[in-house]
Amino acid sequence: MSIRAWALAALMIAAPARAADPATDLAAVIDKHLAADWAARGVVPAAPADDAEFCRRVYLDVIGRTPRVAETLDFLDDKAPDKRTKLVDRLLGTAPHAAHFAAVTRAAWLPQSVAGANFAGFGFQLETWLRKQYRDNVPADRTVRALLEVPYQVQVTGQVGNTFRFVQPVGNDPDHRTIVGFYQANEAKAENAAAAVSRLFVGVKLECAQCHDHPFAPYTKEQFWEFAAFFADLNRVPTADAPPGPQGTRNRIQLPNSSQVVVARFFDGTSPEWNEVTSPRQELAAWLTSRQNPYFARNLANRMWAHFFGVGITDPVDEPGDANPPSHPELLDALGKAFAAGGFDNRLLVRAITRTKAYQLSSRMSHPTQADARRFARMSVRGLTPAQLFDSLVSATGYRESAQQRANTFAGFVQPGNPRSLFLNRFTSTDRPTEAGTTILQALMLMNGQFLDAQTAPDTAELLGAVADIPGWDTKRRVETLFLAALARRPTADELERFSSHVERGDRRKGLGDVFWVLLNSPEFLFNH
Amino acid sequence: MTLSRRQLLTAAAGVSVSGWLGRLAAADAKPRRSVVLLWMAGGPATIDLFDLKPGHDNGGPFRPVDTTAPGLRIGEHLPNLAYHGHRLAVLRGMSTREGDHGRGTYLMRTGVVPSAAGIQYPTVGSLLSKELGDPAGELPNFVSIAPQRFFSQEAYSPGFLGPQHAPLIVGDGQFGPNVPDIDAVLRVADLARPRTVAEDAAATRLDLLRGVHDDFAATHPGGVTRAHAAAYDRAVRLMRSAGGKVFDLTEEKANVRDAYGRNLFGQGCLLARRLVERGVPFVEVTLGGWDTHSNNFDQVRALCGTLDRAWAQLMTELTERGLIDRTTVVFAGEFGRTPKINQQRGRDHFSTAWSTVVAGGGVKGGQAVGRTSADGVTVTDRPVSAADFLATLCRIVGVDPEKPNMSNVGRPIPIADRGANPVTEVVA
Repeated sequence: MSIRAWALAALMIAAPARAADPATDLAAVIDKHLAADWAARGVVPAAPADDAEFCRRVYLDVIGRTPRVAETLDFLDDKAPDKRTKLVDRLLGTAPHAAHFAAVTRAAWLPQSVAGANFAGFGFQLETWLRKQYRDNVPADRTVRALLEVPYQVQVTGQVGNTFRFVQPVGNDPDHRTIVGFYQANEAKAENAAAAVSRLFVGVKLECAQCHDHPFAPYTKEQFWEFAAFFADLNRVPTADAPPGPQGTRNRIQLPNSSQVVVARFFDGTSPEWNEVTSPRQELAAWLTSRQNPYFARNLANRMWAHFFGVGITDPVDEPGDANPPSHPELLDALGKAFAAGGFDNRLLVRAITRTKAYQLSSRMSHPTQADARRFARMSVRGLTPAQLFDSLVSATGYRESAQQRANTFAGFVQPGNPRSLFLNRFTSTDRPTEAGTTILQALMLMNGQFLDAQTAPDTAELLGAVADIPGWDTKRRVETLFLAALARRPTADELERFSSHVERGDRRKGLGDVFWVLLNSPEFLFNH
Repeated sequence: MTLSRRQLLTAAAGVSVSGWLGRLAAADAKPRRSVVLLWMAGGPATIDLFDLKPGHDNGGPFRPVDTTAPGLRIGEHLPNLAYHGHRLAVLRGMSTREGDHGRGTYLMRTGVVPSAAGIQYPTVGSLLSKELGDPAGELPNFVSIAPQRFFSQEAYSPGFLGPQHAPLIVGDGQFGPNVPDIDAVLRVADLARPRTVAEDAAATRLDLLRGVHDDFAATHPGGVTRAHAAAYDRAVRLMRSAGGKVFDLTEEKANVRDAYGRNLFGQGCLLARRLVERGVPFVEVTLGGWDTHSNNFDQVRALCGTLDRAWAQLMTELTERGLIDRTTVVFAGEFGRTPKINQQRGRDHFSTAWSTVVAGGGVKGGQAVGRTSADGVTVTDRPVSAADFLATLCRIVGVDPEKPNMSNVGRPIPIADRGANPVTEVVA
């Protein structure tokens, strides 16, 4: 073999290796684990999702809304074999991706700020910061460290018996000002912050142990307070007479209604090497986000998994224990390790999960063994968040929403005349996505409400008006476009026939309004699938 | 193998997809137990209403008056309610330990303290209407009238019971003494077909919708699709049936409407009577404005005018119509107010010692259970927690408080906490 030929051969072998993409590798690992599970249980997976089904799903999951007509057509007409991968990569770079992930993360991290007006403001602050983190793809460990290490001080106002604890950042970093909302919404209490941090970043719900030993998992009341002691600086109120003491007093907390004092300790039983420089919260952050800490990586990877499949591998995602084993323990382990090895890159997980065969399965049930959502043998049907629903309505109808309307939707207070505010208020829910349904009032709003009425009446509707009046199109093309707008797919032959004949039976414009109304009220529009 | 469309449809349909747009359920002749919760948002000064302290500095200027029940005395600004004293049982030992509006609201309405997150506890109306209601009824099982959800949205949520147990809300976000056009506010939002759509067009739309729904449900069976079908089904039935008319208060005579008071709460109580009459098992009516940090006594006197008139008239009409024995009326807020009067002549938040009231069906009336100290600051006899209170309501309406529901965290959770101790002294 000539040197030249050898070099060429070497290049040909080396080239794919150089281009190897960790997301593709991880996707293969995921598929291998799932396929082994299916084979062992005799599960027959659903058919692969076609391009339209994939496209709509990935838009909803990655940027929080359905694709517009032009976006769907671009994708369907694209002949590139790797167009699915490219679509995900492109969506990850958009502002709506950062906004959607920030909103979802805020709802998980501060559920109290979604449901009540008391804390809504702090939630918006945190969400603003999270949006920046996702936009810049800051690694998850750095984001969590920033949250845990933010320098703050607590001021207490009011009189005894009716006080307000006010968390303020130390210094002038504008990020710190937005992050402290997390502690404020946890009422500036060590026990609340500890319960939230344990649940969110370790994946262990400890709060039952706050008052008594955990009934379903091996955590004691003492362990809870040892964890809470890492946040002892919230409960301690520094005053001029008693400034924060050295480490010897900063890392301990007194149990309520008791004289017992416990020292901060991780609940794997280990302790930091205490020193005078590092604060307990810094020690906690370092332990938590270490690549050697399996809880953190696994839990965050599992939450990302649940975002894309509607169900976690451990599910609920924060109740580990004998009563709630993971459906695929080895897969969960592999995901956690790959996430840590990849430097806690959120987008690595997004890319890997969306490339799997499992994520790209159809949601159509074709075999009874697909009924159990925890086998991931077909895509589950999931409710939309209120924001996903309204953003999808905007995308489908072409409604021109002003930036002022978009921004001005304060939780708990409905603003008449602002459709987004009306929708968010009517649809706010804390349901799990795979259990979300519809209430009577929601159904009435979709069927009879002013917003949908205007968007399904050709004289007032934006997209529908254009589709109804554009010259030169036949009825079928108009119906097809409404399907693309509402459902991000073309109609089947049967649907095209059924709806076109309805339109041609009477007034064409009104008939098209009926079609659009039906599609926007259909479960296919109202759910992610 | 593929499942037949019929099989999948049956699996997906659950209670009512076959009925949606179809025939209406047969009228349910069985009389049902009902609860009317009069919810006092902001925290009522129960020390000035139901547990007065005349002669003590904390007592303020109000005097107690006799009621139709010997020995049971209540505030002088509830003169009409005093005529129903023999039906009232006052729980004077409420002690609930949450003095924040949001947290107190959540606690009193779910029986548990809000935790950092996790378990989504259902609100009391969802819990009881699930037990007492008819899942296929023409009317919703839980109606919330003019709620003020901004203190805690979650305290109005069906939680892990799911959206089919959510309240049907009318008059959302409306409050204050001067709500314009109360008749319109208390109608079900979006119940009427849009004016732009003719009746036959609306019917055609529903036909077409049923087609696409059935197609989707056939290939996507499961709880989500089922809940969607059930909600549309009930919404359409409410639109079509006479049920929607129950929200039309203009059907009532002017003198009846006047008797309740021509304000949102008064008319809300009238609507509650109309709903209970038609078998709705849980109705709540909110009266807000109780957050009297300053000028407490003038404000309480004014609020009592509204409360006394509507509540007493509700009791009167329930009695006249033979509904009182199957209808329990409950008075509660998120907490009481400080016995000590502050420098603005106000009272602040206070959850250590305060009162609630149960009345009517299932209640042994004409008594006060529990006692507070002479200064009103502590409970000296028969303390009642929020969980005890919830368990008491269960017992009054004949529901087992320990009955478990499957929660969102995959384990059963009883209606009221297992440690709850119902106040059986008030259960008839």
